[in-house]
Parts: sequence; structure tokens; C-alpha cells
Amino acid sequence: MSPSRRDFLWTMGAAAATVALKGTQDVFWSSEELADPGWAPGIEDRRNSACLICPSRCGIRSRQVDGRLVRIDGNPLHPLSRGGLCPRGVAGVQMLYHPERLDAPLVRNGPRGSGQWERVTREQAIARIAERLGGLREAGRPEALALLAGYSAGTMQDLWRQFLASFGSPNYVADEYDDGTEAVMALMHGIPRRPSYDLDRARLVLSFGAPLFESWWSPLQAFVAFANPDDEGDGGPRYIQVDTRFSRTAARTHEWVGVRPGTHAVLALGIAYVLIRDELFDAGFVARHVAGFEDFVDEQGQPREGYRSLVMRNYRTEEVSAITGVPVARITALARAIAANRPAVAVCGTDVTLAPNGLLAGLAVHSINVLMGSVNRPGGVLFGEDAPITALGSPVLDEIARQGVSRQPIGVSPSPFASGGQALRFAEIVARSEAPVDTLLLYYANPIASSTHPSVWRETLDKIPFLVSFSPFLDETSEYADVILPDLLPYERWQDAPAPVSYPYPVWGVARPLVEPHEGATHTGDAVLALARSLGGSLAESLPYESFEGLLEERAKGLYAVRRGMTLGGHFERTHHRQMEERGWWLPEHTGFEAFWEELVERGGWTDLFYDHTDPHRLARTDSGRIELMPAALLRVLDQAESVGALYLDIESEATGERPEDHELRLLPYRVSTLASGTLALERWLAEQPGIFPDVLWHPWIEVAPETAGTLGLGDGTDVWVVSPRGRYRARLKVSPGTAPETACAPYGLRHPDGQIANPLQLLDGSSDPLTGLPSWSSTFIRLERA
Amino acid sequence: MARWGMVIDLDRCTGCAACEVACKSENNIAPVSAGEADMGRATSWMKVMAQVEGEFPDTTMHFYPRPCMHCDNPPCIRVCPVQATYINDEGVVGQIYSRCIGCRYCANACPYMVKYFNWYGPEWAQSERNHLNPDVSVRPAGVIEKCTFCHHRLQKAREDARAEERELREEDYQPACADICPTGAIVFGDLDDPSHRVYSLKEDPRALRIMEDLGTQPKVYYLRPRE
Amino acid sequence: MRQSVKEKLARMSTDEQILLRPLVETSRGFYVVTALLAAITLWGMIAYYLQVTYGLGRTGLNRPEYWGIYIICFVFFIGISHAGTLISAILRVSKAEWRRSITRSAELITVLVIGFGAIQPIIDLGRPDRVLNVLLHAQLRSPLLWDVTSIGLYFISCTIYLYIPMLPDLAIIRDSGIKSPRLYRFLAAGYRDTPAQRARLERVIGVLSIIVIPIAVSVHTVIGWIFAMTLRPMWHSTIFGPYFVMGAIYSGIAAILVAMVVLRRAFGLQQYFKDIHFDYLGRLLLLFSLLWFYFTFAEYLTAFYGGEPGEMRAFWSKLTGPFAIPFWTMVLGCFIIPLSLMSRRSMRTPRGTLIAGIAVMIGMWLERFNIVVPTSVNPRWEIESIGRYLPSWVELSIMAATFSGFILLYMLATKFIPIVSIWEIKEGREHSVREVADRVAEYLPENA
Repeated sequence: MSPSRRDFLWTMGAAAATVALKGTQDVFWSSEELADPGWAPGIEDRRNSACLICPSRCGIRSRQVDGRLVRIDGNPLHPLSRGGLCPRGVAGVQMLYHPERLDAPLVRNGPRGSGQWERVTREQAIARIAERLGGLREAGRPEALALLAGYSAGTMQDLWRQFLASFGSPNYVADEYDDGTEAVMALMHGIPRRPSYDLDRARLVLSFGAPLFESWWSPLQAFVAFANPDDEGDGGPRYIQVDTRFSRTAARTHEWVGVRPGTHAVLALGIAYVLIRDELFDAGFVARHVAGFEDFVDEQGQPREGYRSLVMRNYRTEEVSAITGVPVARITALARAIAANRPAVAVCGTDVTLAPNGLLAGLAVHSINVLMGSVNRPGGVLFGEDAPITALGSPVLDEIARQGVSRQPIGVSPSPFASGGQALRFAEIVARSEAPVDTLLLYYANPIASSTHPSVWRETLDKIPFLVSFSPFLDETSEYADVILPDLLPYERWQDAPAPVSYPYPVWGVARPLVEPHEGATHTGDAVLALARSLGGSLAESLPYESFEGLLEERAKGLYAVRRGMTLGGHFERTHHRQMEERGWWLPEHTGFEAFWEELVERGGWTDLFYDHTDPHRLARTDSGRIELMPAALLRVLDQAESVGALYLDIESEATGERPEDHELRLLPYRVSTLASGTLALERWLAEQPGIFPDVLWHPWIEVAPETAGTLGLGDGTDVWVVSPRGRYRARLKVSPGTAPETACAPYGLRHPDGQIANPLQLLDGSSDPLTGLPSWSSTFIRLERA
Repeated sequence: MARWGMVIDLDRCTGCAACEVACKSENNIAPVSAGEADMGRATSWMKVMAQVEGEFPDTTMHFYPRPCMHCDNPPCIRVCPVQATYINDEGVVGQIYSRCIGCRYCANACPYMVKYFNWYGPEWAQSERNHLNPDVSVRPAGVIEKCTFCHHRLQKAREDARAEERELREEDYQPACADICPTGAIVFGDLDDPSHRVYSLKEDPRALRIMEDLGTQPKVYYLRPRE
Repeated sequence: MRQSVKEKLARMSTDEQILLRPLVETSRGFYVVTALLAAITLWGMIAYYLQVTYGLGRTGLNRPEYWGIYIICFVFFIGISHAGTLISAILRVSKAEWRRSITRSAELITVLVIGFGAIQPIIDLGRPDRVLNVLLHAQLRSPLLWDVTSIGLYFISCTIYLYIPMLPDLAIIRDSGIKSPRLYRFLAAGYRDTPAQRARLERVIGVLSIIVIPIAVSVHTVIGWIFAMTLRPMWHSTIFGPYFVMGAIYSGIAAILVAMVVLRRAFGLQQYFKDIHFDYLGRLLLLFSLLWFYFTFAEYLTAFYGGEPGEMRAFWSKLTGPFAIPFWTMVLGCFIIPLSLMSRRSMRTPRGTLIAGIAVMIGMWLERFNIVVPTSVNPRWEIESIGRYLPSWVELSIMAATFSGFILLYMLATKFIPIVSIWEIKEGREHSVREVADRVAEYLPENA
């Protein structure tokens, strides 16, 4: 072997080794790289606060290390969540430190949608907005300002309303998720408030399509009652889920009653039939507190059938069984279970109310509570109240404002029992140029992604010259904005967090900054106050607060003064307080407001766990003072409009509109977990277990029965187009044995890994309940095509 | 000597996956991209498994939250050629990340499939590194990782108890999954200590262990659903 | 070829002339094939560089498919390695005289293929930089460690077993002066072929042939145990040790046959690899195809008869499920083709054995595949979802490079050592004919 050859080999070998070693270095980085030089054990801190991600507003307890938020746990003092938390709450750290958050206010620099932005300071951005708003008031058209707001119950909502009123705009447009139960309660009880459910003390919870364990008002409320942590015995109420879709709730409640799509309310009345036939209902309660049960004579002097006759004539179990697909014996058993496990409460869910005859169906479902006397009683439907915080006071109105607020708000529903859907009507009216809107403020609303009609919203946004977004992320709607003033993220900001109405007791949680707020972001509350200051006049007078934090403290004075309730406390304290109040006792525990406020913030909020079951105002506020099974106002409307339907008769959700021949699957959209409207699903951890299927992750999916998949010749995991006459979107097929034949269950609120939205709502046929104006979610038919 | 174990009540579990996310947050588990997830490379020390039976409308579904079973007779530690996986005196099965050579023999030997491999190094954006838990090391590419029963929490709890001159109590040491569970389905404690809830729960007639017949003696018990 | 070398060669015996010619004469085709193989090997090295740089994520491996192409190749190559040593040792011990011309080529396969087999698990490691932990933190209960020990021992003993019987040939080359004298003086290590040296040599070879057999058996037994010691369906089987050994010998014979056909053609060795050799090896192949069927049938019947759900999932996924194609191709390659060809005398020719040999090699590779993959993707707990495995180009490139690297080194080796043992042929001519005659005479009754 010649020396040269040997040299060559050596060189090659050495080169290969060097390259390999270098590669090794690149890949085998480890914790050393992550740790800062000179790393030392950090200083730890734990604080109670509130989760602001969904309406449930659970209590959280943070863990900070050296000022970084490393973990979110549940706050055990919070009466609703009691130390538990859902995965979205835990994953909040990934939202806080999301790499795509906006780090400065932006002003658009090119045509809309071009993505050209100029970074400006907070003051510049606020000045820019103030200039535009000032111009509107100067021109005497303050009503050309509108706000589109997602769920923001509490002081933020009050602040916005105060701002708009003193500005002179009537256009607070709620882009919230509405379940239509408010109208049901208003009609039957004369109380326009969504019902609260005393799940903790019920012995049986009969849910009609309410997604208790996934996207209800508060899944944690349902979880806590389900697990019954305070009970030493064998557990909480028996949960029965009446649901077409094999949801997480259907899967994990004690019993699932699979009904044909749109027949929940028919089953409810089938149960009512058995309750009446076998005299299992609470006859005493009905006799004392209920009107319309027996046949009666109406205002015009016409004799009318009452509830009993209607049900007994139309809902014999055999017929109900034929319609719902639930065996007769099962219907009877359900009725007997309700009678045997009192207090039993029926929960009315969106699968019932988001239908072409949702209001009538909702009334039918709630009638079970009335029959069983499960109203205003422990373990039944309650009418809770909001926390008695200090009101903001009446807005000061100058002449311009007075004129402005006297105008008709844009998009108010023409429906007699309006409940929701204002945002879409607003969009349609503006898109048709019927109401000139100059400036639209977007607060936790992203209609391009969440709406049933994204294309209408695009037109709408084109018609509005000036758009301001307060989104911390550059979402689809914010891309149209002229100015983006990114809000602080949760965990950086002060905000009150009232428990949702579904919880019977007032809870006023307080979220406070857990980490140093981001420099480039601005608390929208502070921004509103700054705008008011800068606009001056009546606005400044109506909102004389230095900061949002100061405003919250001001509002808490109402709690201090009210002489009831407690700052959040553990099981013992909760029980102690409740028992004291039940006996009419309350003792002041604080030396002054300062100490009270300090403790309130320290513990994460205030609550009052006493509910007065003897208060007749919490049973019915109708003219008759009774619960109206046959509400006169509704009967009037139904008599006039023949096509709408009849009370307790037309309660099955039929397919409406055009149904093309080959569209054979009924689309059942559902929300995977509680997504406040318009927010993004940002947390990568959540993408790894979005639904109930361990092997479905990251990609939006659509569930069909094995039989359906077989007929279509599509296997599990195939990419498909979901097609309706209105459009199509892409999803991955999931063969799920629990899915009803001829239906396709489509999760709503998901995105493809590339950020594309997969929104089944944009396929909906556009039908709605003429009585409430709520869209119908379950009357659309689709077909699937291989993508 | 304590013998740490877990009892999971399948009747209480709603499959919400809070335990999964809590575990990922506590233990700095890096999410993977969608493409990697499609290949089956997502890591979840705690994974909510689902068992479905029957077709509409008689379907039943049970969720099995699955951490490492921390077997008393773990098949994984016997096969490891370098003693990178071990069982300690208190029955916790651990992994030495700095010694593991990444042969994945233990992953194959584990009948419960709870050993996860780092196909790539973890990917965290610079901002995301803020939420990493300083108590748990980040695993490099090429090694196996697994559930540790949040062992770092035990060390902390011990120090705290010692500082306060008292015995370690049940509530002092709870892994992240048991801590967060909104329905209290996951109960954790010392299987040999009669004052701990798991002591009696494991004797419940409903108690079962997965693949008990393999003789691995898992320390994670499940309470069978009542029919 | 230089004139001086040609003259030197011309002075040698016919055997020497034929067998040493490849050492000094290289055809154009040889260069082309070498370049091609080198290119493939380089390509595979680049693929491995990428794998080391970015992580094992570059492969198609996943959870639960933790082991894939690399481990399949590992088992396959170590299996092939039984070609040489075991066969040549058994033939030597049993004094099978027809072995003389085939031992060298077989032993060479062994040594090279162990090397290429043994690096497969290292390629498969997540942390190849820590491979020495196997020695530093050895955990003796791990079958992987048994394997390291066993393969290490096997590699060393096979190298010695290749080298010692090569000494007389190296001395011949040294003395002939046709190759670099310095290299061969070093390699021949002072061997002069004196009667004393020759006697000592034969004694050492005799001892080695006996030692090497149990080591070889242990190697593949332990590889089988790597799988069998886990609790996985269709791995946890007592038959795996002997099953793997049998399969290893089977694929080894096939490999020798293929190599012999190629060598015979390339170097014109028709006089050394005669039809009788192919006939005998063909019979051996036939025997092993029957053995293979016996073992496989026993293995699958046991799994099937028990009907344990975990086992059945893996079982049906092979017979009728997603792995039906590799499974039935394996049956074709390992059983039907070799059985139907080798059971006929007319097919036990170089051509027939080549076809059967290639079929068996493919079949045996698939057998390894059918052991590793279907079990991996079918976890024992039924609620776990079924896995999928699609090897990435990185894995396939590294596999191609392994094959090409092996062939390349084998080809290069033929340029340095005679691929048929010259002295053993010579010894056969000079002594064994008479020795065998004597031996046979000894078997016979003496009252003739």
C-alpha cells in the first residue's frame, strides 16, 4: 500500500469523524442549552386568580418561578371548580407565552389584507382611535360607532356599555354563544334570565343535549357535581344524557339515551306522558304554582286545551317510541327514575334549542322541571343573581349622546322572543349598506372564523371604513383592522370573573396579573378609560376611573357593604357561612374595606353560597304569579302566525329548506370544548387530545357510523370534503361506533395544522327559529367526498 | 418505606384530559408537529385511552387514563443494557436520561407502552421556554422518557416536611395528574400506609390492574366501572 | 498485469495460477461494479449523517413501531454470518472432503457480515455517542448485553478462524512475490509451512472448528432471545432461540450458494466450484427448507391454538391482514420455491441453486420483517391503536449501503486473498485421496 493512499484514507477518516462529531453536537443539545448561565434555584410564588379562557371562569392557582408563569392549577377555594380545572385552563401557559402574540400596537400601512403594518406606540394608537371617534361625535353621528364583543360578562362588558352610552352609540353587538334558554324562562316564569341548575344537590340530572362535560357554560360545575367531592357516600347525582351524538357527556354519564336527531323534546313529552299517566308528577306543586296544566279559557274567551290534555292526547309512549327510537320500556323507566330520584332536574341544551322550533322544544323540555316541582327548590332549576358589586352609575349623556342612544340598535331581532343572532343580522344590514357604520371595535370577536356566514362578514368589514381590533393575536378578522391595540393576555391583567349563570350562587372571581404585563400590550379596560379621558366631556364624566384595577376595587365596595357572603374559602368555611346565613346570621370579618379587598384578591374572589328558596320572586314573576305552561304571549304569536307551529305539538326538528338528493347525512356540529366565540385554539398541547378519540389529534375530523363509512367506501382517517349546498370544508373521517346512522358529527372551533379554519357552521342551511332568531344547527344535510 | 401507587376510578373519569395537559405542563413535555403526531410520535406520559363497545344507540365508552404503571416487577428495567431505567426503593420506576443510549428495548418490553422516545430534540420557541418547569430536566434527542409519578414533587414535599419538622402527609405529595383531576378520579398515595386513601381503595372489589396476568405487578389500580 | 508478475505466475502450479490470478488481474467490469457499490455506500453514509444530525426522527420509526429496518437487517446479517463459520466448521469436524474449495469464501462472508450486522444496532441507537455505556454501565440481565458479548466473541473467533487457515496461502503469496512483499510478510507472520508448523496449524484449526460451533449457535440464539424475553405477542416464545439458529444457517447456506455462483462465473472457478458442490449444498438447502417449515408451522400453530387475543391480533395481521403480502412471499421464498427446486436433481445446478438461494435470502429477510414489524404495530393492550410503519428513504438508503458495503468489501478482499484455499486443495490432492481410501478401507470388513 502506498503512503499516499494511506494518507488519503486517514484524511477521509478524520474528516468523516469531524463531521460526525459536529452533527452530534447539533442534535444532542440538552438542558444545558436551556438553562441560563449561572442558573440557580428560582424564587417561587403561588397566587390565586381566575381563569378567563371560557365562561366558566374557574378559580386558578398559579406557580411562578422568578416571575415566569410555569404552571396553572385549580384554586381549591373556588366554590364552583373546587381545585379542579379543565385542560384548556391548564394549557393557558402556552397561550401566555405563545410565540405569535402581537408585541406592539399596529397601524395598517397598505391595503386591507396586505399584511403591511406599522408598529406604533400605545399612545399613538389610542390617539388615532380617539381622533376617529372624536370626529364621529363632532359630525353628530355617534351611532356610527359599533362594538362587536365576545363573551365578556362582568366589568368589561359594563365598561363597554357605559362607554358606548356616554359616547352616544346604541350598538353593543354581542357575538356570544346563546343557548336560547333565557326566552324559555322569560315565557314560563316571567324571569328573563338563563336558568341556574343546582346540580350539587340534585339526585338525578336529566340532560337533553346539554354538553355538560365538554362545552356547557361550566363543565367544571358539572364535573364537581358528578364527582360530588364533599359527599362521603357513594357519589353525586345520577346523570342521564339524552343525546343524538355520542358525546363525551353521553359516553361518561351514567346512562345514555340515544335519540333520533331532533327528537329530544318529543322524548321529554313522552316522559311527561308517563309522569302524568302514572301520577308520578308533583301534583301539589302543580296545583299551587302552575297555570295552563288543565284546559282553560284564554283571553279571548276561547276554550283551550291545557298541557295535560295535549300531552295525554299526543305523546303516548308507543308514538314517542316510534319517533325517537327509544323503546317504550325505556321511556317508562326514565319517568320512573325521575320520580324515584327527586329532586331531579332536566337540563335543556343547545341541541334542543338551536333548531327551527327550538323555543317550543325548549319549553317542552323545561316542562318536566315544572311537572316535578324542580323549580326554586334545592336540586332543581334556580334563578340565581349576580354578585352585588357597585354599579357603574348612570352614564352622563350630552346632547349628541342622547340623540345617538335614542336610535334603534343595528341588528336587533325582529323575532318576538329575541334571544340571539344579533351579530349576524348586524353584519347583513351593514353589508347591504342599510346602516352606515363608520367604526367597528372588535373585542374578543373573530366572526370570520367563528360565524355561520364568513362571506357576509367579509362584505361587512369591507363596508366599514375604520376597524379597531383589541385582539392579542393577529386573527382572521384582525387582519382587516386599521388599528390593532393588542390586549393583555389573561394572567397579565386585572379582570373580574363572575361565574356563569348556570351556577346558582353569585361568585365574583378576580383575575389579577401573575406575571409582568407585556410592554407592547395594553389592557383594553385601561384603553377604554384612556379613550374616554381623551374624548373628554360626558365620556370623561361617565368614566372617572384612573385605571381598570381601580375600577374593580371600586366595584368591590358593593360586596363589602352588602353584609353577606364571604371571600373565597375552603370546604369548612363554605359550609359554616352557608349554615350561618340560612339561620339569618352574618358576621363582619374584616377591619375595613382595605383588608377586605386584600383578602378578596388573595383568595381569588367573593361568593355567597346562600340561596333563598322561599322567595316567590324566584319562582314566577308572571302576571298570574304562577308558572305558565301555556304562556299567553306565546299563544298570541302562534295564533297569528299559522306557519310557526303549535305549543307542545311542533317540537320535532325536521329538516328544512332545500335538501339536495345526494346529501344524506344530517350534520350535527358541536363544540369540542368551551371556546368563547372568536378566540383561537392556540395551545399545542390541546391539539394532542382535542376530542374523545385518543388517536385523533391535530386534524379536524368528522364522525360517522361504521355503517355509513362502509357504504361510502371511506376508511378511518381518510381526508374528506364535507359538502353542503352552501360550501365545503376539509376534515378527516373518524369512524365512531357511537355515531347515529345517517348523521355526521362535526367538531366546531378547530383548525387545520396550517391554521386554516374548519368551520362546519358555514355549511348550515341558514334556517333559524322564527321565534327567537337563533340559528338552527341540526337541520342541514351534507355529503362526504374523498379529498 | 413508602410504596407509591395510584387508584383511578373509571366511573369518575370523564376523559377530559386535564391530567394529560397538567402532566405535559409539569414535566416539560414538548408538543410535536401535526405531521409527527400523525406518525405516532406525540409524547404523553399520561394518556387518556378509550375503550368503546357496541354501536348506536347502545354504545358504551370508558376512558382509561394511562400513566406508567410503575410495576413492582417491571419488564423494562430487566432488558435495559445500561441500567438507564431502574426502580427505586419506593417503587418508582425512573429513567436516567443522561445514560440512556436510546436502543428502545425497554419501550418494546413494556406491555403498557408507556415509554416514549425522543425522535427529535424538543422544540420550544424562545418565548415558550418561559413556562418550562425548572424542577424537571428537558430531555435531549435520542433518549427514552417516561412518567415519574412527579418524583421531583416528592423531593420538594420531603424538604418542606423536614423544614417544618413533621411527617410527610398524603396531600403533600400528589403528582400533577391527581392534583388537577376535576372529578377526583385519580387518587395517589402510599399503598402500604393505612392512612392513605389508596390503601383501602386498592382492596375495593372493583379494583383491577391492567394485564395483571403478566405478573408485572403494576402499582396503578383501576376501579372497574359499575354496570 | 506486469510482465514480471506474469512470469512469476507462469512458474507456479495450475491451482496456484488459477486461484492467484484474481489477485493480480482486474477486469474493467470489476472497476465499474466497485464504483457503483462505493457510490451507494457513500449515499448511505450521507443518509446516516443526516440521521445523526437531526435525530432518529428521520427514520419512519414511531411509537409503537420502535424497531424497524435496522433491527431487521441486524438479525438478517447476523443470520447470514452463519454461512461460513458454522458450515465450514461442521464440515471440517465431520471430515467432509468436498468442503475444501468452499470454506474460504464462506468464512470470508461470515467475518464481513458480522461487522455489517453488528453496526446495525448502533445505527439504530438514539444516542450512538453513548454506545460505550454498554461497557461502562453493563447490566447483565439484559439480553442486549448477552448479545454484545456473544457477537463480540463470535467476531473475534471467526476472524481468527478465517485467518489461521489462511496462513499457508499468505505464505505462498509472499513467496511468489506477485504482491507487495511487505504486506504479505507481515500477514504471513513467519509461516514457512514446515511439517512442524503444518501439524501445529492443523491442530489449531481442529480446536477452533470445535470452539466456533457453540459460539455460533449462541449468537443467534441470543438474538432470538432479544425478542423472546419481552412479553409481546408472537415474540414471547421458547422456540425463538433454535428457530433463529436454524433460520440463520438456512440463510447462510443460501448466501454461500449465491456467492459461489458469482465467484465461479467472475473468476472462472468452474473446476473448484463443481456441480457436485452445488448438488450437495442444494440437498442441504432442501433439508433446511423442510426444517424451516417445521419450525414455522410449530411456532404459528402454538400461537394460533392458544388463541390468546393479543397473539391473535398479530397472528391474523400476518396471515390475512396488512402483512399478508410479506408473509406469503416469505412462505414462497423460504419454502415453496426451494422445496420445489431442490427436490429435483436436475435443478441442483448452479443456475437452480442461484434461484433458490436468492429466493431464500429474500424470504429470510421477510421472515425477520414479519417477526419485527407485525408484533410491534399490534400492542398487547387492545385499546391501544394499531401502529403503522413506512420506512423512510434514510432507512432504505442505509440498508442499501449495508448490502453494497458488504459486497464491496467482499470484492476487494478477493484482490488480496485467494478465495479458494490453495493449500487445502493441494493437501486434498496430495494426502486426502489416499487418506479417504484408507478410511473407507478401515470401515470395511477385513476378511475380503
